[in-house]
Amino acid sequence: MSATHPFGAGPRGNIDPILNEVMHALDRLLTDNESTAIDLSSLPFGPGEIEELEEQLGIGEIKAELDALGKSLIRETIYPGVWWLEHRNTDGETAGRYIEITRVPEILKAQDADIGAGLKQLNRRLEPVGDAAVT
Amino acid sequence: MELLDFARGPALQFGLYAFVIGTVWRLLGILLLAAKPDHSAPRKRGGILAALKVISSRSVTAREFRQDTLYASVLGYVLHIGLFVIVFLFVPHILFFKGLIGLEWPGLPNNVIYFVGVITAGVGVALLLRRMTHPVLKLISNFDDYFSWVVTMAPIITGLIIPIRFGIRYETLLAIHILSIAVLLTWLPFGKLAHAFLVFFSRGTTGMVLERRGAKT
Amino acid sequence: MKDERTLGEVLLAKGVSRRGFMKYCSATASLLALPPAMVPRIASALESARRPSVIWLSFQECTGCTESLTRSSSPTLEGLIFDSISLDYHHTLQAASGDAAEAARHAAMEENRGEYLVLVDGSIPLGNPGYSTIAGISNVDMLKETVADAAAVISVGSCAAFGGIPGANPNPTGAVAVNELVKDMPVVNLPGCPPIPTVITAVLAQFLTFGQLPDLDHYGRPRAFFGQTIHDRCYRRPFYEQGRFAETFDDEGARLGWCLYKLGCRGPITYNACATVKWNQGTSFPIESGHPCLGCSEPGFWDEGGFYQPISTARIGGGTALGTAVAAGAAIGAAAAAMSRRRQAKTIKEG
Ligand code: HEM
Ligand code: HEM
Ligand code: SF4
Ligand code: SF4
Repeated sequence: MSATHPFGAGPRGNIDPILNEVMHALDRLLTDNESTAIDLSSLPFGPGEIEELEEQLGIGEIKAELDALGKSLIRETIYPGVWWLEHRNTDGETAGRYIEITRVPEILKAQDADIGAGLKQLNRRLEPVGDAAVT
Repeated sequence: MELLDFARGPALQFGLYAFVIGTVWRLLGILLLAAKPDHSAPRKRGGILAALKVISSRSVTAREFRQDTLYASVLGYVLHIGLFVIVFLFVPHILFFKGLIGLEWPGLPNNVIYFVGVITAGVGVALLLRRMTHPVLKLISNFDDYFSWVVTMAPIITGLIIPIRFGIRYETLLAIHILSIAVLLTWLPFGKLAHAFLVFFSRGTTGMVLERRGAKT
Repeated sequence: MKDERTLGEVLLAKGVSRRGFMKYCSATASLLALPPAMVPRIASALESARRPSVIWLSFQECTGCTESLTRSSSPTLEGLIFDSISLDYHHTLQAASGDAAEAARHAAMEENRGEYLVLVDGSIPLGNPGYSTIAGISNVDMLKETVADAAAVISVGSCAAFGGIPGANPNPTGAVAVNELVKDMPVVNLPGCPPIPTVITAVLAQFLTFGQLPDLDHYGRPRAFFGQTIHDRCYRRPFYEQGRFAETFDDEGARLGWCLYKLGCRGPITYNACATVKWNQGTSFPIESGHPCLGCSEPGFWDEGGFYQPISTARIGGGTALGTAVAAGAAIGAAAAAMSRRRQAKTIKEG
């Protein structure tokens, strides 16, 4: 930490409590199969603190990018089952940051409504062929 | 913020005026009194030095009584030193004085002040218990003693509650704190708390009189 | 004009995917300070929600509040929430003007009788109706007429909520807040100069999602956003407790990010969400940028002494007043002493 870092002389505020919460949530995921999501926007972070939290959680094996109403980054951390989610709006501004403790974040899964819409579209494309269409 | 505005404005203003008027009034009222004529020949000349000597010597209990009064003396010292530290070394307080008199001095971390506050409050309670149980003290204590205790303790207790909050809004607690200070300021010159400024004159006078009589001080 | 489509249908028509909708619901949950576990409930509520009709009235104001809300040119997630209401009248934003605009207002009121929301920014002058008029109608008259059949009123910004700058001493126009004129229906105050845009959209989102207005504090502010002081959520708080204060804006303490109390920070007595919700899509908030809180979401904040004076600064008469007090004390003291001297002399003579 550089001398001018606001926390150079002070406490580390939020990071340790959050890591603790994540640890307990992981434990619940393993034992009770219960998922947890932490909304980081409800916590009072100081400058640089979120970045430090992100650094502490590190970058794991999976990285995904979602493009719906702006980009979203979904990344597994070095702790399997702990995901870092960042929603951006169409301006690329951060609209929400979450830590999800789950096997697969819900938003990665294909959604029934979209599957249905996709199915319809595919159907329409194959219509001329006639018998290939699923109805 | 209405209660806070009242506390900060009219209430504190009233307290401060009452304090200043009362203090000057009581001091002049006593200092301008004619000394009782003393026709005896002085053993020694009781001057300022004699006064200063007693003002300081009475800060320590005479050896003969030291053992018996140790508990009370220690508590008394802690109470006063605590009050001094809280009132004059807490940064928000210092900034209050800065607005009033334009001077500023370094303070202590708030955590230290809270700690001193708890100790001081505890000592205050111990002194009250002693007053209520001590066979002699109990007899010679009157309303003034108890009321003075209450108005001294009130700012300490209400001040300590501010950082604790108990779910109450900061402005409300602050307003109560300031109102308690207004009460203290109003009462201080008129009751026994006037010892804060009179104690030096009473000791000084005692010193001069005793010196004149040639007594050991 | 009345739009009967549900929000789900509107979003679908805009080509928003289900994942996009989930993102939108997460953002709504964040906005409402609800735990992420509530997202599915929000999703099902929003899918079938009807878009509320909103009439926005602007009185004595600087357009800063509208600016705060519409700052972004392309749709943000919060912007979408704003888009999902049916804004039927806003004389700064709408294309129509004059009679056509007033007709739109009347039509919206007629079609959504008892259901529409009225958003107000700016205070209302009572001094002389001519101080502020729209289409020749005085602000008071327009407010009273428009709220008559509304479901609720939302006062956006400190001017509408508390009188703001127009209402500051000496208040030349006799400006008053909305809730001084509207007494018989819920008035939600969203003070701030300007208010945090997120807070405005959150209240709309809550109305949209649950058909309810938020729980309010004694100043009519939603507790979810105005329930805690800036000081209670300030990341510089540890420095406050340690007694580490910036003394000027460019000293070592200021550079190290120490507490701004000595520079006049109003954080301890100011209820707002800046320290957590932050500004500009969560970028930072004034204290994070090195400036003390001005207390902009509190009533009468313009008249609470200098912005750069510490809040505990004595705000009571100084030198001359105290000098008078000393003189008064001296007079009483001297009189008291003279009286007792006389009594003493009498006693000696008699005795
Ligand atoms: C441990 C005990 C105490 C604590 C924690 C405490 C705390 C506070 C706090 C937090 C303020 C608020 C400043 C602000 O933000 O406006 C304050 C103001 C003040 N306190 Fe105390 N206090 C304590 C004891 C006392 C005592 C014993 C006195 C005097 C006998 C006193 C006199 C004052 C005065 C004069 C103010 C300024 C009022 C103003 O803000 O306008 N305090 N105190
Ligand atoms: C320079 C200032 C002061 C001096 C020299 C002084 C001195 C004394 C002395 C000698 C006693 C008797 C001690 C005892 O009974 O053991 C006493 C008691 C007391 N003083 Fe002070 N005092 C001062 C200021 C104050 C102030 C400003 C307050 C309150 C705001 C205060 C509150 C009290 C109280 C409540 C007691 C009674 C304690 C008990 O119950 O025994 N004093 N003081
Ligand atoms: S900067 Fe302001 S809000 Fe933050 S701790 Fe200091 S006084 Fe409180
Ligand atoms: S930090 Fe204070 S003055 Fe600044 S916007 Fe927030 S409430 Fe208003």
